[in-house]
Amino acid sequence: MSAAQHRAAETVLQANGVTMIFGGLTALNEVTISLEEGRIVGLIGPNGAGKTTLFNCLTGLYTPTRGSVRMRGKELPSDPAKVTAAGIARTFQNIRLFPNMTVLENVLVGRHLRMRQGPIASVFHGPVFRKGERDAKEKARELLTFVGLTSLEDEVARNLPYGDQRRLEIARALATEPDVLLLDEPTAGMNPQETEAARQLIFRIRDTGISVVVIEHDTKFIFSLCDTVSVLVQGEVLVEGSPETVRDDPRVIEAYLGKPREEVEAEVAEAAEALEHREGNA
Amino acid sequence: MSKLSAWVPAALARPFTAVGGVLFLLAAMLPWATFLLNDGAYPEKATLQFFDAPFELTGFRWHLLLFGAAAIVITFVPLPGKARVLRALGWGGLIIGLVGAIFIASEGGGLGAITAADGNTALGSIVALLGGIVLVLGATATGIEDLPHWPTRLGSSPIQQRLTAYVVLIVAFAGVLWLVSATLTAGGIGGAAFPYAGPIFLAYLGFAGGLLAALHGVGLARWISQLSEEHRAFSIVVLLACACALPFTEAGSQYWMQVAATIGVYAATAIGLNIVVGLAGLLDLGYVAFLGIGAFVAANLSGAAASSLGWDLPFPLAALIAAVVAGIFGAIVGSPTLRVRGDYLAIVTLAFGEIFYRSSQNNIGDLTGGSNSIPGIPPVTMFGTPFNEPFTLFGTELPTGVLYYFLIVVIVAIIMAVFANLKNSRIGRAWIAVREDEDAARAMGIRTGQVKILAFLVGAMLAGLAGAVFVHKLGTASYSSFQFLESVTLLAAVILGGMGTIPGAVLGASLLFVLPEKLREFDDYRLLVFGLALVFIMRFRPQGLVPDRIRRAEFAGETAEGKPIEEVEEQVVLEHEQAEHEAPSAPKEGKA
Repeated sequence: MSAAQHRAAETVLQANGVTMIFGGLTALNEVTISLEEGRIVGLIGPNGAGKTTLFNCLTGLYTPTRGSVRMRGKELPSDPAKVTAAGIARTFQNIRLFPNMTVLENVLVGRHLRMRQGPIASVFHGPVFRKGERDAKEKARELLTFVGLTSLEDEVARNLPYGDQRRLEIARALATEPDVLLLDEPTAGMNPQETEAARQLIFRIRDTGISVVVIEHDTKFIFSLCDTVSVLVQGEVLVEGSPETVRDDPRVIEAYLGKPREEVEAEVAEAAEALEHREGNA
Repeated sequence: MSKLSAWVPAALARPFTAVGGVLFLLAAMLPWATFLLNDGAYPEKATLQFFDAPFELTGFRWHLLLFGAAAIVITFVPLPGKARVLRALGWGGLIIGLVGAIFIASEGGGLGAITAADGNTALGSIVALLGGIVLVLGATATGIEDLPHWPTRLGSSPIQQRLTAYVVLIVAFAGVLWLVSATLTAGGIGGAAFPYAGPIFLAYLGFAGGLLAALHGVGLARWISQLSEEHRAFSIVVLLACACALPFTEAGSQYWMQVAATIGVYAATAIGLNIVVGLAGLLDLGYVAFLGIGAFVAANLSGAAASSLGWDLPFPLAALIAAVVAGIFGAIVGSPTLRVRGDYLAIVTLAFGEIFYRSSQNNIGDLTGGSNSIPGIPPVTMFGTPFNEPFTLFGTELPTGVLYYFLIVVIVAIIMAVFANLKNSRIGRAWIAVREDEDAARAMGIRTGQVKILAFLVGAMLAGLAGAVFVHKLGTASYSSFQFLESVTLLAAVILGGMGTIPGAVLGASLLFVLPEKLREFDDYRLLVFGLALVFIMRFRPQGLVPDRIRRAEFAGETAEGKPIEEVEEQVVLEHEQAEHEAPSAPKEGKA
């Protein structure tokens, strides 16, 4: 990272002491993280650490039991639609496109908030309506080009290959014109080439001024992508800092990985290979 | 059905289809019944007097003759989608034979009536059945190929292309008009006056279904639909013209115009329901209540003597108010959707439908007339012409009720336009997004609650509008027209026709409201036959008769290797059967 990118930036998103309790289970305990403008923050941790729960709290899908989430100093409501309107967009761990809509329509749904046509205009399709529709389509096509799905706009989303579905989900999220993009395991199930393409895509998104939070299991991916990394273990932030500090922190190695790094790296490599193998079979 | 292909070796495909065609020809010539029924020869030309009037539309022999000749010709002529066409012809003829055989046997006192008695032989229906089976077996022996593609751009210059497309579309829609007219009138009015209407109509359906499936198999249907999509405005004009031309065809009698207008009302209502169910994915089991609300509001505002309000507003205003009131109730019913999903919502709507039915039965608020209903609603009058009188247009005396038919055509056209425009808008996409994945829709910033209530509101408004016409056409507003069964039938119409499409809703509504009309003399069996037909259609065409582009893709079912899923399944079943076959036999051999 160049020094210029590390200059003091405004905090966009701030979660303060977020606690989420389901029945007797504390999924998140006093989690505090912050995201500065134009940065990429990584969120890692073992399964069940509460990463996705934190995303759900940030996007209003869950109402935190305690604590607050602030966007540029303003508290966010616990309503996903309003959170999206405030400028936070997300993708889902297990891809949740609108499977029976076309690629273009999926992105157009993402434009929902940025369009103004009401029911009456929608019934009559007047000139203003048609112009809005044209503009939305143009914008949607731009986004599809941005993520690299140019020629697929009339495909039904469910028929896309896995990697393209992930990219479409990102395009759909970008269509809401967010300030903050939350990506939940954007490279799960991808091969190394696709992973690299995803990494470049996230850099390009960051370069447009959008701040990004990424959940990922692939530590190599996270350490080569993020400006700062938070490690979540059993609902608590264990370590937070630059990729280098996190990577070398013995607590992380022990708590998150449970073993010395060399062994784990071998395991990770093995897992990646197994994944590739499985993909190759599929 | 494709599993049949294992029964006949591919080399025998041609002989089989040729023989099937010949059997059809033979069946058309042979006598079908060995007796005269009390009211004359069954069905019309079914006895030895075939050649009296062989070429009437309802003459199923003529249809069989046509299918047989076509099958023989197609067997020896290269044709795209050949197997599909032959299979369609086979099934069509088979249904004609089956309907004839069942009816003659049941009316004539057993199998003797269709085989031999009194020294006569009457093997017609048996031969037709056999021909159908042989033809289907032969057609499927070589496997069913993909639907052939036709080029949508004919001619070199754009003007030439446009002109050819226009001509094709006009011819196609004229064909549709002829088919609609023929379907309406096939078999006659039915009931006590003419007891054979049912079987003749069913046999006719075999013909029409076979013909349409054959046209589909050769790729024509898809070609036409592509052309009409490319020239949308022109298609709409031609379609409207065809709808307005219906009264000038054979179907232009008072009775058929009334039936057509009733179908129109239900088609309009089904399109409204299609917004709620097909687009927004909200199951509504009490939808007919909105039709009822529209009907009662219009009845009370139109100067019926029995109405306690006694207002007399012009029809357009009354219809508008009816739509708005129904819409308000729609929003009220929709509001629980903020809290309940899926099955629970279905129960809420079911309860609402029942509340409406019971309160209108008990005349709560003195607005529905209770069991007396509200009779004597004056006819719609526009430009000084009451709609319940005959009408002369271009020197042709058109029967009573034809003006209501025209009114319905206009209303259906309006409702279609509303549906199509909404579907292709921000609102429509939000509905579909909610149907597809509610959480993801919320993550896109869609206020799912508002969007769902809007779906209920718009759907109810359209039903209310249809209800206003309905009640004027009937002249009476009675609670008994708005029972639970009607809601179910409307829902069935939407699902049967194909969710989320206009032609689907119209076709579904037409079928579901024409069939009971046509099957009157089956009385007790009518609902049974009807239910069976539904089960079969849903089994063999779960995407509906006219699925939308997406559901078509969904059910097309290609596996990774590009084989249709059906074929793979078939292979699996075969292997399974084989394994089962071998397993028990092995120990036996061991014992021997």
